[in-house]
Amino acid sequence: MWSQIAEELPRFFGYHNLIFFAKALGSTFALSVIGCVVGFSAGFVLATLRMSKRASLMPLRLMTTVFVELFRRIPFLVTLMLVFFIFQGLQADLSMFSVALVSVCLIATAFIAEIVRSGLESVHQNQWDAAATLNFSYWQTLQMVIIPQAWKIILPPAFGFFVLFIKDTALASQIGVIELAFAGKAMSNKGFSATLVYGTVLILYFMLSYPLSRFGKYLETKLAPTRNR
Amino acid sequence: MNIDFAPVLDRLPYLISGAWLSLQIAFLAFAMGMLIGLFGASVRSYGPRWAQAMVGGYVVFFTNTPQLIQIFFLFFALPDAGILLSPLQAVLIGMTLNAGAYLTEIQRAGFESVRKPELEAAETLGFSRFQTIRLVILPHIVRVLFPPLSNQYILMTLGTSMAAVFGVEELTGRTYNINSETFRSIEVFSVAAVLYIAITLIATLSLAFVGKRFFRAKMRWF
Repeated sequence: MWSQIAEELPRFFGYHNLIFFAKALGSTFALSVIGCVVGFSAGFVLATLRMSKRASLMPLRLMTTVFVELFRRIPFLVTLMLVFFIFQGLQADLSMFSVALVSVCLIATAFIAEIVRSGLESVHQNQWDAAATLNFSYWQTLQMVIIPQAWKIILPPAFGFFVLFIKDTALASQIGVIELAFAGKAMSNKGFSATLVYGTVLILYFMLSYPLSRFGKYLETKLAPTRNR
Repeated sequence: MNIDFAPVLDRLPYLISGAWLSLQIAFLAFAMGMLIGLFGASVRSYGPRWAQAMVGGYVVFFTNTPQLIQIFFLFFALPDAGILLSPLQAVLIGMTLNAGAYLTEIQRAGFESVRKPELEAAETLGFSRFQTIRLVILPHIVRVLFPPLSNQYILMTLGTSMAAVFGVEELTGRTYNINSETFRSIEVFSVAAVLYIAITLIATLSLAFVGKRFFRAKMRWF
C-alpha cells in the first residue's frame, strides 16, 4: 500500500491536479463564506422580527418561526435535493453552484436565526423594561441596549456553527458542484489510491476549518460573560 | 410543473420503515459515541498528559473534518489496508467516531461544571465518596449535560441522511429509490422532509419532557 502511494505521489501532485484542487478548495471556500455572510445577516433580521411584539408583524413573525423550525429539522442533503428539483421544475436555468448556494443560505439563515434569538433572549427583561421607560422604540432598544449586551453571547456559538457549516458544504458534491469532496471522488475515479486522495481532502478541509474553530475558542474565552444571571 | 402525490403516498410505508432504520442508526451511533465520549472526557479531565494529548488530537481532527469524507475514507481507503466494510458498517463506524469526538467535548464541559465548593459541602455533611457521586455530582452533571446532549442527538438524526450517499436504504436512501422509480422528485423529497421534521419534532418534545420532568434541566419546548 505505502509503496503504491509513494509511486503515485509525483503524478498526484502534478501541475493540473494542483490547479484542480485549488479550484475545488476555492469553491468550498466561496460556498462557506457566502453562506455564512448571507446566513448571518438574514438570520439576524429574522431573529429580531421574531422578538418584536408588535401586533401588525404577527403574520411575519409566524412565518419566520415556521421557516426556522422547519429548516432546522430537514437534513442538508434533502434540502439540497428539494431546492435542486424545485428549480428544475420551474425550468430555471441555474448552475449547480447557485443551487447549492441557495440551499446553503437557507440552512445557515435558519440556524443562525435561532442562535441570535437565544442570544437576544439572554438579555434580562429588566433591560427591555428600562428602555421602554425611557421611551425607546423597538429598534432603538435593540440597537442601543440589547445588541451591545447580546453579541458576546451570540458570537461563540455562531462561530461554532460556521465550523459545522464548512463541513456540511461537502454534501454539495452530491448534485455535482465541483468542490473538495467532488474533487476527491474525481481523483479517486482517475485511479489514484483512495487513501492518498481522501487523506489529502481531509487535510484540506482541516486547514480550512481549524483556524476558524481556534478563533471561535479564542472568542469564547475572551468574551466569557463576567457575571452570572 | 404538475404535482401529484399519489404515487409517493402509495409507497409511504416503505419510506416509514426507512425512517425507522434512520432512527436505529442515529441511536446506535449516539449510544456508542456516548461510551467513547465518556472514556475520552474522563481521560481529558483526569488522565496522564500523553493520553490527554492523544484524546485532544482525536477530538480536533474529527470535529474539523467533514463526516462525509471520514466515511468516504473508511469505505474506500480501508480496503487498501485489507479491511472491507459494508456501507452500513462504514456509516455506523464513521458516525460513531464523529459523535465520539463531539460527545467528548460536551461531556468534558459537563465534568468541569462541578465546582469545588459543592464537593467541600458534601464532605462537610459527612457524605461518603459514593454518596457524593450519587447525590451531588451525578444530578448536577445530568442536569447540565441533558440539553446539549439532546441537541447533539437531533443533529445526528439529521446526519444519518448521509448514509444514502453510500447506498444504505434509510429514509433518504429510500427517497432516492422512489425518486428513480416514479420521477416524482419534488413530491418524494418534500414527503421525506416532512418525515424528518416529524421524527426530530417527536424527539425534541419527548427529550424536553424527560429533561424537564426528571432532571430539572433548563430546556425549551422549541
